[in-house]
Amino acid sequence: MQPIPLKPKHEQTIVAAVDTSSIKIGETSTGILIAVRGANVWKQKRNYRYVRLGPFVFHITEENKKEVYNALQRAYSNSPHEQNHQNSPNLQQMPTRMANLLERWLQTMLSKTISNGLILFDGSLTSGTADTPIQLMKEILETARKRSNVVLAFSKMTNLRFNGHLITDILFGHEPPYLLETAGLKTKPPIVLLGDVYVARLTNGNCAFRLDIDKEVSTQQKIGAAEKLLGNDLLSQSYPETLRLAHILCTFTANEVIAMQHFTAHTYGLKIINRPDMHRLLFGPFGKGESS
Amino acid sequence: MKLYRKEGNIVQILSFPNETVEKGDYLLIEDADAGKALIVQVIDVQFASIPGILEELLRSLPDGGESIQGEDFDPLEIAPHITYIQDASLLVCKIRATVENDSLTPSSSWLPSRSQSTIRKLPIPTLLKLAKIDEKLPIVLGGTKDSSLLTIDTSSLDGRLNIITGKKDTGKSHLSKLLILNMIGYKATVVVFDLNGEYLSLGMTADGKRNAYHDKIHVLTPSQNFKVALKQLNLHVLLEILIHALHLPGTSAREFRRIWQSLKERDMLNLHELGEAIRNWHCNQHVRDALFSRYYALVNSGFFTDNIAEATLLEERLSKAKEQGGAIIINLRNTSPIDRQIVVEYLLGKLVELLTSWRLKAIFLFAEEAHLYLRETYWDDIVTRMRHFGIFTTFITNQPDTIRENIYRQADNIFLFNFTNEHDLEVVSRAARVDAETVKSIARDLPPHHCLVLGKVVKDFPMVVKVKALDVKTMGETRLFFKDTN
Repeated sequence: MQPIPLKPKHEQTIVAAVDTSSIKIGETSTGILIAVRGANVWKQKRNYRYVRLGPFVFHITEENKKEVYNALQRAYSNSPHEQNHQNSPNLQQMPTRMANLLERWLQTMLSKTISNGLILFDGSLTSGTADTPIQLMKEILETARKRSNVVLAFSKMTNLRFNGHLITDILFGHEPPYLLETAGLKTKPPIVLLGDVYVARLTNGNCAFRLDIDKEVSTQQKIGAAEKLLGNDLLSQSYPETLRLAHILCTFTANEVIAMQHFTAHTYGLKIINRPDMHRLLFGPFGKGESS
Repeated sequence: MKLYRKEGNIVQILSFPNETVEKGDYLLIEDADAGKALIVQVIDVQFASIPGILEELLRSLPDGGESIQGEDFDPLEIAPHITYIQDASLLVCKIRATVENDSLTPSSSWLPSRSQSTIRKLPIPTLLKLAKIDEKLPIVLGGTKDSSLLTIDTSSLDGRLNIITGKKDTGKSHLSKLLILNMIGYKATVVVFDLNGEYLSLGMTADGKRNAYHDKIHVLTPSQNFKVALKQLNLHVLLEILIHALHLPGTSAREFRRIWQSLKERDMLNLHELGEAIRNWHCNQHVRDALFSRYYALVNSGFFTDNIAEATLLEERLSKAKEQGGAIIINLRNTSPIDRQIVVEYLLGKLVELLTSWRLKAIFLFAEEAHLYLRETYWDDIVTRMRHFGIFTTFITNQPDTIRENIYRQADNIFLFNFTNEHDLEVVSRAARVDAETVKSIARDLPPHHCLVLGKVVKDFPMVVKVKALDVKTMGETRLFFKDTN
């Protein structure tokens, strides 16, 4: 594997990022209360701007989970092939799955509104899971491409290994910024890689990330997109500021959780139940707690 | 409001943005099941420690210190709830009393229910009623924050030691004038040591007309209309002046005593004969020189006279004040420090003499910046011995460290105006009738003309009052260079 050195390109390019967040804000006698929020952040002419949607609070029960999930799926994707009435997630998965629905919708919106830009996703361009339907992801990438955008997805965590080591841990003694192309990655159906996978070490320091870039654009465009990112966004610890802001803006803080509990109690009279932590109850100081 | 925690006599209460509570306010924590309630006073208002608040603030400032621009779509309108939680405040309160069966006890030994107690603001009039702060001889000090009037009973100043303190231009003299005028309205005899001539126009309205108290205000200016004849003087008083004000050594004082007795036996007590007696007295030359220098100090003060007719005004005025109430203003404005001490020594001695012989019942003494004329040994004397004779002192100062700690400890009432200096607050907080936290926390934030009243006049319920305006001609204003150039 040979590193591909990068030179920052200062050609003015809009950089946009999407992230979403979900949280369980409590349990009721019949289900769970969850909240999701998403943020689009973009940098244009040295200024960052954002659009933040939410928080959207849902009371999910065994009875309504299918209806809620499918209704949102229909509303977000507006596409009949996404309606999967059999596979609504279980209650514990609902926060993540609902956030994913919102994330796909926000990604679609960005790909439809930005042109000649860089669109940053949180995660990978791996598709074919329950959260990332192949058709929808393909449509998002295609729309972005049609408007001359390049989609880059940054993963904070990866399981990909080279010679037994995580690909992001390998140091090549090369001066950043550079990309490292990984070749010959195989996936099992129905999982599909919609992007080419790189290791991106964009600044000095020990941080490197898995970077997926839309497979359908040329190698030159992929490298050009990484160089434009270097020239148009702030990078700290190899991570783009736009994506970092998107993450920060949608993440829930403790006081927001309290506020949402206050909202549900005052507006809908929902009483949150504090269930005892059985680990703590049974094992005392040796119980690590259910949440940990 | 929700009861959060109690530690010692400090209670912490969680308050939400729609509940407006400020420092100094009183709250009633009622526990209906226990049949009791706690009266607490807010001594500090802090931000409640809300988890995640730091993250919330940090994420609003990620772009080089400037707020990131953007739009929020919040269809469920949760943002107001977030603000509501973020703006919650923690009220640090001091327990003042327990109410049980409509009577107050200073106890704080019980714990009200955290979940069941109700907390509400306690209006000052209700508190005054509960505390039975009666109004037999009312003095309206001014308005409280809840727009009610704070009225104290003049008799709660009777027999008491009071301190009025605060930094410059906060309204100390204004309050003392208010107290004086109300007291003389109730026929009290008041003596004021007026260092800066601020009280000379107490009998005039702001537009220079005579007010209702005009005939009860008697201004005595030493060496002008206030003089004393040697014949009127008690040897003991004169020796106090010579020893303490003029620092006459003991040996010379003994010779002076002999000279005085000799003159008195011959009924020759006047300034001229005293001078001659010192000149001709058989004594050591150094003693004679010492006596002569003090003699000339007395003569040059202009305060002493041989004309008895010139020296009757003080007793006349005191006698008049005894009948119908009045204030004797001792104008010390243009008096030198030595002469000031001579006058004060004489006056205090004279007052003790009149009180001892019951020619006076009791007097209220207002002493401004007393450290400038009161000798060291008088401080204890005033709060102990003279108090028993019937001299009830109110010290007024903007330098609280000039009043001794034991005076603060024995003060019955303190009228505290704004102080920002930590050292000053530390000094005042040594007063026995108040806790240091209350003084330090509330006094620091008092606006001008607002006073924290502590002590017996408010039955130990510290209260903040905006001292009411007086229609009295202002005197003693600082002379300004640029006053007329604007």
